[in-house]
Amino acid sequence: MQVFKAMFKITKKRLPSALAYIIVFIVISVIASSNASKDSKFEMTKLKICIFDEDDTSESRELSELIAQNHDIVEIENDRDVIIDSLYYKRADYALVINEGYAEKLRAGDTADIFASYCLDESFSTVYMGQFLDEYTNSVKAYLSMGMPIDEALSCTEEALSQETDVSMLRNDKGGDAHYSVDFAAYFQYMPYILISAVFIIVCQVLVTMNRRDIRFRTNCSCISSSKYTFQLFLGSGFFVLAVWLLFMAVGVMLNKEMYTGRAWYAVFNSLIFSAVVAAIAVFVSSFEPADNILNLITQVLGLGLSFLCGVFIPREILSDKVLSVARFLPAYWYINANEMIADVIPFSSEGVIQCYLIQLGFAAALILLTLLVRKVRYSGAAISTNVRKTAVSH
Amino acid sequence: MFLHLLKYELKVGLRNKDLIIWLILFPIVLGIFFKVAFGSIYEKTEKFSSIPVAVVEEKENEAFRQVLESIENSDEPFLTANFVDKEEAEKLLSDGDVEGIITTDGELSLTVKEKGLRETMLKSFAEQYKIRERIAMDAINTAPEKAQEVISSLTSETVSSCRKIPLTQGNPDVYIQYFYNLIAMVAMFGCMTGMHITMQNQADLSALGARNNCSPVPKSKSVLACLVGSFVLQTICMVLCVTFLAFVLKTDFGDRLWLVYPTAVLGGIMGVTFGFMVGSLACVGEKAKVAILMTVTMSLCFCSGLMMGNMKAVIAEKIPWFNNINPAAVISDSFYCLNIYEDYDRFITKLITMAVTAAVFAALGFLASRRKKYASI
Repeated sequence: MQVFKAMFKITKKRLPSALAYIIVFIVISVIASSNASKDSKFEMTKLKICIFDEDDTSESRELSELIAQNHDIVEIENDRDVIIDSLYYKRADYALVINEGYAEKLRAGDTADIFASYCLDESFSTVYMGQFLDEYTNSVKAYLSMGMPIDEALSCTEEALSQETDVSMLRNDKGGDAHYSVDFAAYFQYMPYILISAVFIIVCQVLVTMNRRDIRFRTNCSCISSSKYTFQLFLGSGFFVLAVWLLFMAVGVMLNKEMYTGRAWYAVFNSLIFSAVVAAIAVFVSSFEPADNILNLITQVLGLGLSFLCGVFIPREILSDKVLSVARFLPAYWYINANEMIADVIPFSSEGVIQCYLIQLGFAAALILLTLLVRKVRYSGAAISTNVRKTAVSH
Repeated sequence: MFLHLLKYELKVGLRNKDLIIWLILFPIVLGIFFKVAFGSIYEKTEKFSSIPVAVVEEKENEAFRQVLESIENSDEPFLTANFVDKEEAEKLLSDGDVEGIITTDGELSLTVKEKGLRETMLKSFAEQYKIRERIAMDAINTAPEKAQEVISSLTSETVSSCRKIPLTQGNPDVYIQYFYNLIAMVAMFGCMTGMHITMQNQADLSALGARNNCSPVPKSKSVLACLVGSFVLQTICMVLCVTFLAFVLKTDFGDRLWLVYPTAVLGGIMGVTFGFMVGSLACVGEKAKVAILMTVTMSLCFCSGLMMGNMKAVIAEKIPWFNNINPAAVISDSFYCLNIYEDYDRFITKLITMAVTAAVFAALGFLASRRKKYASI
């Protein structure tokens, strides 16, 4: 097991920098998963509205209160730049200005342009609030025209507007399982990016060192057979990946504040399988002997690319169908698919989850075969002799 | 002498093909991924478009039909209705072809699949009916002589009570900030080229460094030449990156594209000086230097929203000063200012921040690398 042992010796040297990476990625995944639930705009039925009441009369305050009953009011400084920032970064969905003279105009029944709203674009929230305000002013106008005094008209309007229509849900869409909540699923959701980054840093750096030309030439002329050598490489890489994975699972337990139970084990197993896929990718990439700084770029391309295409950072439901049909050919898609099933975001079935497992394992197997092929071609006697000839010529 | 050194620095940089190719390929590949993934999200989720809805008529409701038709014939229809039977409607809803089912059975009722703004809009549409009915009833009860007038005023078209004040001429697509952050990341990756300057000038790290140290050229001159050479290479990368994003992927940077270029270049220069500073300050081997640079760079990019778009807003709420000093956030913010704001105040502030940061990084790098003696290597 010399190869296996050598890998550990190299790792020991690289441990401080590897630990730095791992700590950073753990911090990122913890921050990301704790902010994840705020990101999904699809649960939003309440808007975040900021109101600038320039009229400041009892009528305008009454309207503000009515809006506050159905939506969240956010306080924002009345400054153009601040409003733009808030609307762009979705700290507020709608910025309403109740113009001066609102109460007088309303009483007179002249409802044109009594409000103003700041907007960046024609979005659903501006259309929705525009309709609401029109409905409100029209109703008040109608009551006023019946000869009611203003305060009575306002209270009647409020009463009329408070009627509700029954809404039935086709399916309860909240998702989540007693053992595996949607919030905790977010931690596993970000894991593909974190695993790819962390595993690549450790495994690839070791493998690239092992594959360095002089070391490889020396290994090739030793009595160890090439299949044994490759086997030990896989074994060693598998061991490192297992260590990284265990670390992430331990952090998961800390975040969950209890040991995994029930369905959460499916998720744990899912991430183990994905780690195996990542290990296979890492061994494959390192067969091409990339330099250290280039390895970092490749890691980011693979990590960010897979994550954005397969719905790690952005919910899959808002990705287009075309993207998702391409993503089916990537392992992270099936990881996320299984994770969403386990969290009940899409209907759960144990066969479905196992199917996702098997597909991921298929990817791992295919990558291992490819690696063997690449190594055979690149490191075979013929390839080496051309290499040697090239170096001889260049000297 | 300076020009001579500069020439060789450029030659060394260009011959180190792998790094240059990857620095150029990197934004191209990720840019394509981003374009594929986010290209249509904004149009799909945020920008207003009419809501498809299935209508199931258990009982004929002529008035409702008329209302729907009048909505569909307006300039910007708020919803598009499909008249179908119950099974068909449920199939459409579960396939996601419609957002909700409105059933007319004396009263209107609504079935939806998700909870969201569009569903809420459908709900308030259905409620409008009840509200108008109620008002009409009230009118008949309290002032029967005016009831006809009230009802006709309710159904007639009215002027909008709310005037929209558009705040920007720029591109309001919030997903474009992933591209800003991509450029920021490429700029920050300039730290790799910046770090190589120190590799070439520290005698204990490379043979080239040892040779450079025993030459009679003042260190300030040779390091400055290396730094300028790296700026040139990084500038080429940044220009290619922005050109690819703007012209091949057709990313909309607003109407001041010519200012995007110098911003990206300045960002790249800041990235190079960052690598130069870290490389000079940290007296460790190449691998450790790369590790420090990568972890810091990735954390900064994470905080500016490369992985999660709302990260910058979260930080703005909790530790607002951090966004003003995080180099990655400053770079992506300056693109945002160019796109969204009409005036240049904030944009210029960001540019000055970048220039000052780059100057401080370079100065620290120079201070750390001067007067270094290598007694034995």
